[in-house]
Amino acid sequence: MDLKKQLKEGLLTKNPVLAQLLGMCSTLAITTNLFNGLGMGLAVTIILTCSNVLISALRKAIPDQIRIAAYVVIIAGFVTIVDLLIQAFLPDLSESLGVFIPLIVVNCIILGRAEAFASKNGVLASAADGLCQGLGYTMALVIVSAIRELLGSGTFGGGLLNGGEGIRILPEGAAATLVVMPVGGFLVLGCVIAGAQYVSRKLQLRQRDKEAAK
Amino acid sequence: MKNGSTVRYVLRLAVTLLLITSVTGALLAAVNGITAPIIDSAAQAKTQAAVAAVLPGGGAEISFTDDTGMVQKVYASQAGYAVQVRADGFNGPVVMMVGVSPEGTVLAVSIVSHSETPNLGAVAGDDSAQGRAFRDQYTGMSGTLAVTKDGGQVDAITGATITSRAVTEGINAGLACVAGLG
Repeated sequence: MDLKKQLKEGLLTKNPVLAQLLGMCSTLAITTNLFNGLGMGLAVTIILTCSNVLISALRKAIPDQIRIAAYVVIIAGFVTIVDLLIQAFLPDLSESLGVFIPLIVVNCIILGRAEAFASKNGVLASAADGLCQGLGYTMALVIVSAIRELLGSGTFGGGLLNGGEGIRILPEGAAATLVVMPVGGFLVLGCVIAGAQYVSRKLQLRQRDKEAAK
Repeated sequence: MKNGSTVRYVLRLAVTLLLITSVTGALLAAVNGITAPIIDSAAQAKTQAAVAAVLPGGGAEISFTDDTGMVQKVYASQAGYAVQVRADGFNGPVVMMVGVSPEGTVLAVSIVSHSETPNLGAVAGDDSAQGRAFRDQYTGMSGTLAVTKDGGQVDAITGATITSRAVTEGINAGLACVAGLG
């Protein structure tokens, strides 16, 4: 188990959104303010970690032929539990995320990690993988929502800070509504992915130079 | 021998799935048992707050007749009526609560839920000065309303004529429903 490597992969080089391009639908749909991005990211992180742990623990008990069915039941169970808890204790978040919480069931990140990692690795490593990939997803969502909220509504921290209004940074009227609409989601996400690829490549080159210097 | 092991294998598949689904089902039932009352009471408190926002003191639910198919619920008290109406907006349903006086004039309007475009149609429901001005202009109006573009007296929100029309139509349905109550 190599936590540092897993964290680097989750946040950057194998980031679920920015490198693996998984879970695009929710990423584009809910990133209109910081509260949504953070809430969705944390919900996915919790569900991903729990399902990774359980699937890894059961990986020897589940026969190969029915593994997908078993994974989907486990994932759907966790998603429904989290959905009910959010509805009961965080009604504001439940209202703004709406249908996208139940839709985490079909978010490819969760099943993808179950199939690619948890079904082949130990419980602790799978927990770390769930946490790192979840944090990577959260980070991508937070970056995209912060940019979209700033350019589209002119605020920072909407739904969370300053009584839900957010802190106004750009003057009213200077914001481009286009950015909070679906079109803006594609544009901003594309730019963020390009940025992440750039940083990722820089790091790769630097590491190669270091190894060559040795 | 070979048949026996196939049967055992198929049974193993079925029993494993059965175990996983039963445990998941039991767990979900337990969580639902805990959260259902909280979710219910929160939904009720929200409805009461929405009623009280357009009808001071709130009201009790009454039965009604409605020709438009838009009216969902009617609450009544001595001060008047609160009508919950669902109209078709730009991106989906706009659910609103319309307060109506016993004389048939609009007391207040509040948007309960919507999925309109942020910064455009969504202004109808938000707390900005423009949103408040839009909703407050209805107060005191009666009869059949229309936005200025359609020859009426309601000022639409800039860039959101369809949303403004939806809200106006919803209010018309609410007023008509109360008029029908006699």
